[in-house]
Amino acid sequence: MPTFTLNVNGTQHTVEAEADTPLLWVLRDWLNLTGTKFGCGVASCGACTVLADGQAVRSCVWQVQNAEGVAITTIEGLSPDGSHPIQKAWETVSVPQCGYCQAGQMMTLAGLLNQTKKPTDEQISNAMSAVLCRCGTYHRIRQAAKLAVEETNK
Amino acid sequence: MKKVTIDRRQFVKLTTLGGGGLALGIMLPPFPKMGNRQENSDDPVPCDHFQPSAYIRIDKKGQVTIFVAKQESGQGVNTSLPMIVAEELEVDFQKVKEEIAPFGSLPPEAHDTGGSQSVTGSWEELRKAGAVARTMLISAAAKKWGVNEGVCKAENGMVVNAITGQSISYGDLACDAAGLPVPTEVTLKNIKDFKIVGKEQRKKNLKDILTGQAKYGIDLKLPGMLYAVVERCPVLGGTVASVDDSAALAVPGVIKVVSYPGTGKPMHVHAGVAVVATNIWAAMKGRKLLKINWNEGERNKDSTTQLFKTFAVKAKEQPAKIVHAVGDADAVAAPKSNILSAEYAAPFLAHATIEPPNFIAEVKGDQCELWGGLQLPNWAVETVSTACGIPKNNIKVNLALMGGAFGRRLHSDFAIEAVKIAQQLDKPVKVIWDRTDDIRNGNYRPANYHRLQAKWDAKGAVQTWEHHVLSTPIQWMMEGPESSGGIPSENVGGADKDFWYGIPNIKTSYTPVDINIQRGWLRGVEPVQNVFAVECFIDELARKLKKDPLQFRLDLLEGRQPFAAMWGKTVEPDRLAAVLKLAGEKIGWTQPRKKNHFVGIAGHMFFCDSYAAHAIEIELLAPKKFRLVKIVSTIDCGIVVNPDGLKNQMEGGTVFGLGQALKNEITVENSRVVQDGFFTYELARFNDVPNIEVHTVPSEAKPGGAGEVGVATVSPALCNALAAAGYRPRTLPIKNEGFTWV
Repeated sequence: MPTFTLNVNGTQHTVEAEADTPLLWVLRDWLNLTGTKFGCGVASCGACTVLADGQAVRSCVWQVQNAEGVAITTIEGLSPDGSHPIQKAWETVSVPQCGYCQAGQMMTLAGLLNQTKKPTDEQISNAMSAVLCRCGTYHRIRQAAKLAVEETNK
Repeated sequence: MKKVTIDRRQFVKLTTLGGGGLALGIMLPPFPKMGNRQENSDDPVPCDHFQPSAYIRIDKKGQVTIFVAKQESGQGVNTSLPMIVAEELEVDFQKVKEEIAPFGSLPPEAHDTGGSQSVTGSWEELRKAGAVARTMLISAAAKKWGVNEGVCKAENGMVVNAITGQSISYGDLACDAAGLPVPTEVTLKNIKDFKIVGKEQRKKNLKDILTGQAKYGIDLKLPGMLYAVVERCPVLGGTVASVDDSAALAVPGVIKVVSYPGTGKPMHVHAGVAVVATNIWAAMKGRKLLKINWNEGERNKDSTTQLFKTFAVKAKEQPAKIVHAVGDADAVAAPKSNILSAEYAAPFLAHATIEPPNFIAEVKGDQCELWGGLQLPNWAVETVSTACGIPKNNIKVNLALMGGAFGRRLHSDFAIEAVKIAQQLDKPVKVIWDRTDDIRNGNYRPANYHRLQAKWDAKGAVQTWEHHVLSTPIQWMMEGPESSGGIPSENVGGADKDFWYGIPNIKTSYTPVDINIQRGWLRGVEPVQNVFAVECFIDELARKLKKDPLQFRLDLLEGRQPFAAMWGKTVEPDRLAAVLKLAGEKIGWTQPRKKNHFVGIAGHMFFCDSYAAHAIEIELLAPKKFRLVKIVSTIDCGIVVNPDGLKNQMEGGTVFGLGQALKNEITVENSRVVQDGFFTYELARFNDVPNIEVHTVPSEAKPGGAGEVGVATVSPALCNALAAAGYRPRTLPIKNEGFTWV
């Protein structure tokens, strides 16, 4: 089986996996970083979103062979102590219910803020509409996203 | 202050607990075997904590752990239930740890989580549990100081001597308290002295969620664990005819392919072929290479197209069963001009939890251990036992946090599958469903159809209300079509004895229609089905009679006394009127509105003793095209335990209902679900959801539930707003009637 060297949350990991294995499963089952979630496997729900060189990508359809040489950030690396402005905003607004999709929600917003420091409401809506929340926390995600944008631009 | 008696059968002092605890009263389960209790052990066990019941543990350092019997799936029981205990216990809630109460530490049904019953059903028990521990800690302090218990009081994790001002922490009292008898009577706090209940509290696992540390069932990993995915027979009741697994077995990492037959009632597990591998990706790749011939059986031609045709025909025929009758609706004569009738329809729905069904099982001989999220672990043990031939007492359950449930995890089909696979392996196995598996093999909210008719007299007073409910009964899947004399009654929620409007002649009836797919309970259950029809039709009636739809409802509730519904529940019409009035006020019902803006309203009582309403404002942008301007959600659920949790539940319920109003739909062809994932089974997304306001009617009634009561009134409120704009959608989701929205 081929080996791949991955840069995840600033740490180098060497993993042995089939080349077409989605990064999602490598993160979860090889590296035990289970904060990134499986929701659909076909990039339809956004639960698996991570950052690749700062950009939000769907790890369920990103093969491990294409993930070498890229700085990968998962929810565990956004900030381990919850101090990132997005995590703080999510905490202040008390967004989660079951919480399962929230890593994908926060990583999606993080990707947007890396691209656009002051996104418009429409840009936030377009980005966040790609991530499903079955508990229905969208109303709070909107409040928290706005708060995170404010805090990021302070 | 309220004195309550402690049921000695429930709080029984046991001699010792395995693991080093001392002499602790604990809930006595109805079955004799329990965990690793060491009965009649004479060995002295060193004391390191006080555990007066299965709910509370206080260690010598003063750390308070509250064990939560109900299963957390986002509804907030891991916070609201510990709040109730902590309130009576008099501790700092921020310092309290919460843990899942292990299955086996309580009577098995204590873990049942559903029907929005967790807070309302646990309220007294948890208050007593907190009060028992507090009473014992006070006794221990009084003994230590040699004073009367009456001069001691508990506050903030300490017992304080009111005369001397001396204090001693719960941690320092733990081992003394552990040696005391469990009191037979305790005093509950006065509600007006509450410090925790009624104040906003953050979710206990909020930080874990935000840092990716929260562990759901799907995140669990056991040493040597294998991974499996399953190809299921597309038709319920079918069997495996033949399998060619040679290509699958050639995939590196795949170690075995195992088949198993399906099961009948209640779980209706599809026959399956599982690919087992050392990693999930190998299993998924192997599955694609399976070549399977299925015997689909004879019931492989059912469709929802035919089902709704059958509904429409039968709706006009004699119903199979009269469910509820007041007066004599048939005897009331009225000219055609004074009769209104209408028919409504709503589709099958899937739960689509974002954490898909998954489960871990390990079988060693006739012993079985399970890991995963279950709303009804006791039922899971029973059904696994029956379906897999393992004695109930040999099944150990380890419960896990759930990434959404909404009724999907009331069923244990996924647990049975995992055990059937594990029975053919010598290692633990984690079975993961992909999204297509989930959408196509659900326990669907029944498709339903309603025919309503009302008659009024010359003065415009409504004289009759007739409601014929037709649906694909859940009960037939659970108990077989022969149950209840063949005709179940699934009318609860506005179409049974709980129908709330004061009309002199009422007749509600039910007709079941079958189809070969599994059914189950979805958040909001039957009220979501019936309230859509009831609250739309009352609105139609108001408009027909040229009356204000809100005032029309209030007039029909006015002066009605509380009345008995099913299951010992009481409907209080005044409380329903109050949530409707509040929703009207907050949407500006009587205020002048902008051009092309319209409002709709709907209300109902849910059998968790809660009342809720929605008022929705839309702006009509073009024919059949609208913008959601604002949604107001109002609730009276009695005493509110966690206002932030309540608000989150009502917002979530609103979004859940909105998805159903706009676009959720499962259809069936050839006894197979057509939709295959989130591209085809469309859920509400961020850009569908407008500003949501939640308002609470203050109440001192016993706490009701909040998980489900926020769903049912969204669809009718939206359809009623569209009616105000000149339309009257009668079929859900409304996208099927050509509506679009921005």
